[in-house]
Amino acid sequence: MAEFELDCLGEACPIPLVKTEKKMQELDVGDTLIVMIDHSCALKNVPEWARKNNYDVEVEEVGESEWEIFIDKTA
Amino acid sequence: MAEEAVKKIVDETEATPSSRRSSSRSSRRSTARKPKKDQTLQGLILLVLVIAFGIYLATISATIGIFWLTGIAFGFILRRTNFCFTASMRDPIMTGSTSLTRAVLIALAITSIGFVAVQYGASIKGLPVPGMGFVVPISFATVAGAFLFGIGMVLAGGCASGTLMRIGEGFGMQMLSIVFFVIGSFWAARDMGWWTLNFISNGPRLHLPEIFGWTGAITVQLVFIAVLYILADRWENRNQEL
Amino acid sequence: MKLSSNKYYQAWFKNPWTYVTGAILLSIFQLVTIATTDGAWGVTGPFAVWGAWVVQAFGGSVDHWYFFSTESGRAALDRTFLTDPASVRNLGVIIGALLATLLASQFKFKKIKNLRQVGAAVFGGLLMGYGSRIAFGCNIGALYSGISNLSVSGWVFALFMFAGAFVGSKLLVKYFMQ
Repeated sequence: MAEFELDCLGEACPIPLVKTEKKMQELDVGDTLIVMIDHSCALKNVPEWARKNNYDVEVEEVGESEWEIFIDKTA
Repeated sequence: MAEEAVKKIVDETEATPSSRRSSSRSSRRSTARKPKKDQTLQGLILLVLVIAFGIYLATISATIGIFWLTGIAFGFILRRTNFCFTASMRDPIMTGSTSLTRAVLIALAITSIGFVAVQYGASIKGLPVPGMGFVVPISFATVAGAFLFGIGMVLAGGCASGTLMRIGEGFGMQMLSIVFFVIGSFWAARDMGWWTLNFISNGPRLHLPEIFGWTGAITVQLVFIAVLYILADRWENRNQEL
Repeated sequence: MKLSSNKYYQAWFKNPWTYVTGAILLSIFQLVTIATTDGAWGVTGPFAVWGAWVVQAFGGSVDHWYFFSTESGRAALDRTFLTDPASVRNLGVIIGALLATLLASQFKFKKIKNLRQVGAAVFGGLLMGYGSRIAFGCNIGALYSGISNLSVSGWVFALFMFAGAFVGSKLLVKYFMQ
C-alpha cells in the first residue's frame, strides 16, 4: 500500500503518460502512484490509459493548470 | 447473523478505494497547498473584449469580423475538448490509444458531408464551387511536406492548431515553436519556385466528385473513413483481445 | 465570485467536453467558414507572409520571390495583420483558447523546462513551417480541410503525416526524453 510520486510538471506531451506507464510497471498491486501534471493533454490521456488497464483513477485539481492524478494499481 | 452482515459491510466500506485515496489525499492536503485562484472574472473581461474587438473588426469589414469569430470558436472548441491532431497520429504509435484518431475521423466524416452538400449546391446552380482552393496538386512536395510536418509536430508537442491553442494556454514551448514555424514557412516560401518548377506544376489536382460523381465521392470517402475507424478501434482494443 | 461553482457553469466551462462533441462543433464552424468565406479553415497560410512583413519592416523586399509574385501574394504583402483575414483568425484561435482557459481557471504560464525542449521546439517548428508551406497546408489546411473538400491531396497528406509522426515519435523517445 505504498504511495509513489511522479513529478511531471513542465513536461511536454506525451512525456507524462510515457513516464506514468513506466513507473506503474515498478509498482506492486495495492500501491498508489500520484502523478503531478500541468499539461491539459495529460489530464485526458493519463486517466484514459489508467482506466483502460482497470486501475482506479481519481483526478484532483490543485492549482491553475496543475493536477494530481491518483492511480491505484488494483491488479 | 445480523452482526456479521453489518461487520461485512463495514469492512467493505473501509476497504473501498475512494476512502483509501481520500485518506492519502487528506494527508497531502494537510501539507500547505497554495490556494486556487479563480480566473472567471478575467475570463469574463476577456469575453467582453473579444466581443468588442469583433464589433470593431466588423466595422472595417464583415469578412474580417467572421474570421475573428470563427477563430475564437475554433480556439475555444479545441481547448474545451483538448482536441489534438498531433496526438491522433502520435498516440497510436506511442501509447496505443486511438481515441483522438477516431475523433478526427468523425470530424472528417461530418465536415465532409457538410462540405459536399455545399459544393454540390453551388455546382448544380452553376456557381463557383467553394473550397476548391483546398484541392491542391499532389506531388513529391505533398509527400515530403507532410512527412516533415509529421516529424515536426511530434517533436514540437503540437501541430499548427495545437500550437495556437497551447499559446493561448500559456505554454512557453509553443510560443517558441511558432517563431520557428514562421521562419520555416518563410524559408520554404523562398524555395517555392524550385518546388513548383520541379514537382508541384506536374502534380494533378484530384477532386473526388470528378472521379466518382457527387454521390459516389461522398460514399467512397465515408466508407474509407468507416474502415479506418474500425481499424483504429481494433488497434485500441488489440491487447484486450489477446 | 461563485459563478464558477455553479453546476451548469462547471459543465459548460470547466469540465472537459468529449472528443465527439469537439468533432461536431468543429464541423459546424467549418461549415460556417465555407458558407461565409468561400474557403475552409486553414492555419499556416499567413505564416510566410508574417515573415515577409518582418523583412519589409527592416527595409527588405521579397517581391521578386516566385511565392510572392502572384496576385494573391502581392495583395498579402500589402496588407497588415488586422486587415489580413487569415492572420486575424489565427489570433482568434489563440484568444479563444485563452478565453476557455481563463473561464476554467486553468491559466498558468508554463516555462520551458530544459534545453531539450528548446531543441524540440526549434527543430519541430522549422520542420512544420517548411513542410506545411510546400504541401499547401498543415493538419488543418491540408489534412482536415483538404479531405473535407474531397481532395485526394488531403489523404496523401494524411498518410505521409502519419509516417512522419512515426519517425518523430522514435526521435522524441531517443533524443528528446530523459
